[in-house]
Amino acid sequence: MANTLRLYLTCIRNTLEAAMCLQQNFPCQEVERHNKPEVELKTSPELLLNPVLICRNEAEKCLIETSINSLRISLKVKQADELENILTKKFLRFLSMRAEAFQVLRRKPVQGYDISFLITNYHCEEMQKQKLIDFIVQFMEDIDKEISELKMSVNTRGRLVATEFLKQFI
Amino acid sequence: MNLIGDLDDACWVGDIRSKALHNWGVGVEHTVQGEELDIFLFSRMASFERASPALKEILLRIYSAEKPIEVDHHLYEFGSVEYHIKSSASDPQFTYLSISTPLLTQGVLLSYGLSPYTTQMVREISADFLEIVEPAKEGYQLTLRLDFSKIPRDVDSLKVITEVSSVQAVILSSQLKEMLRNVNSRDTSQGMYKPIKLVYHPREPFYVIRQSQKIIAVFPMRFKEYSDVIIATSFFQELMDVGSSEKWAKVPPCSWSPIPPPELRGEPFEDLSTNGGFVSFDISSRHIEGKRLDKTVWSLLNFYAYVKHHVKCTRGFIQRRMRKRLESLVEVLQNSSLEEDGRIKKVTGWRYMKKLVTLPSKSKILKRRCGDFTGKIKRIRFRIKIHGFGRFRRKWLTMPKFSSSIGYTKLE
Repeated sequence: MANTLRLYLTCIRNTLEAAMCLQQNFPCQEVERHNKPEVELKTSPELLLNPVLICRNEAEKCLIETSINSLRISLKVKQADELENILTKKFLRFLSMRAEAFQVLRRKPVQGYDISFLITNYHCEEMQKQKLIDFIVQFMEDIDKEISELKMSVNTRGRLVATEFLKQFI
Repeated sequence: MNLIGDLDDACWVGDIRSKALHNWGVGVEHTVQGEELDIFLFSRMASFERASPALKEILLRIYSAEKPIEVDHHLYEFGSVEYHIKSSASDPQFTYLSISTPLLTQGVLLSYGLSPYTTQMVREISADFLEIVEPAKEGYQLTLRLDFSKIPRDVDSLKVITEVSSVQAVILSSQLKEMLRNVNSRDTSQGMYKPIKLVYHPREPFYVIRQSQKIIAVFPMRFKEYSDVIIATSFFQELMDVGSSEKWAKVPPCSWSPIPPPELRGEPFEDLSTNGGFVSFDISSRHIEGKRLDKTVWSLLNFYAYVKHHVKCTRGFIQRRMRKRLESLVEVLQNSSLEEDGRIKKVTGWRYMKKLVTLPSKSKILKRRCGDFTGKIKRIRFRIKIHGFGRFRRKWLTMPKFSSSIGYTKLE
């Protein structure tokens, strides 16, 4: 792993560890008998913490928004060229369409980001906090790796197919 | 122009995979595995078969039938190629094959018959058992009369029938060959040769420009989706890289440009507006010598289909990779919740043990005993109703209700 990437991921991990201390079952202050992720509704400013933006560079960044009962993590993934751009879009759209499999994945990313996660107090009750953080960090690593591998595979396929086409002229 | 199915579906079917390898003389045990095999299969299958598989199958069935069979089939390929195969039990000697195909023309689609050169090429498939019927059946451009009894026994019948099945490819190739031959000096204007626009599919015209030393084939590339454009562009880059390497010095130089090449100057604007750029092949005389002419013409005619097939297969490949990756990503999350479940179970077990060990209080013992007594009374069923016994039971045999000072009272 590149040194800068390790630092970037460590920073995100530490921030998540600090941010993921959600109060269990905090009822909505506006509507009786409702219990909703405050980070999404943003009804009461006193229930929200300051969002943290961690940037590796202009193209790669992570926004962590915290509230009393929920946490929203939004990621922007590196897209160096057009091929990486369509591969990233395809892959993240594919994952978002299957958000129910991940439980913590948001169906629609926050504006300006490629993918978003929403972790509520219920998720923290069901899953171990440390494992959840591990998942987010590993997800980020895997996405980068997968996009690079996909790009290489597409180019390799293209090269082999081009070779086969040109063989016909010999 | 026949495409053997969709590789994305086919390459994962074991039978087809092994059959394909067997047909190409490659032992399964010695071939590459997984993804490499996928690419290997693509490369072999993407060199499109000339023979129509469906037509071949029907002709083989008629040929191998022990007694004459009645066949009257209409086949359609790619929406515009139509075959009519007719064989009757009353006339078992002959089988009639009629073909209707869009002709490769200079900008307009023609509906009339074939040129003498094309007819000659069709005759050359097999002069023994194939005869062109004049005039062709109504609605078709060519009708062939096949006499299977004239196929010599020492000749591989499968090979002959495969050649007959590729009649549409022969028609198409011969037209382009003829056009390339007929280009002469009258097409020149101001020292430059006029491009010939060839239309096989209305949305996919391509240009052939004959110059003094070479022939340039220019393909304006258009795609419906932006992602297809990107995949195709990366393919064109690879095509240029491979073509320009020393190892491939003998192949026609290939170039890709997002803007139209200067040879197409003066062509209609709608023909030059593309989203995938322009791919050009410089074909020199050595590429059209002897048997190479046929290969070159076929490769050029199939270039669009080849690129589109590659784009389609690549999209399928990306989809498969993503699906595989999804499973591994979900697994990470599931592992975390499973372990957590295990921990909860442990905690529950400990609480249960504590509950068993705790001794009941005196009030609970009294409550339980009273409950047992009233239960016994309730279980008694009086068959004979005694007047006033209900009042007696309510007064003396019902346990009084105690309200707790610390408990919650339900509001009415």
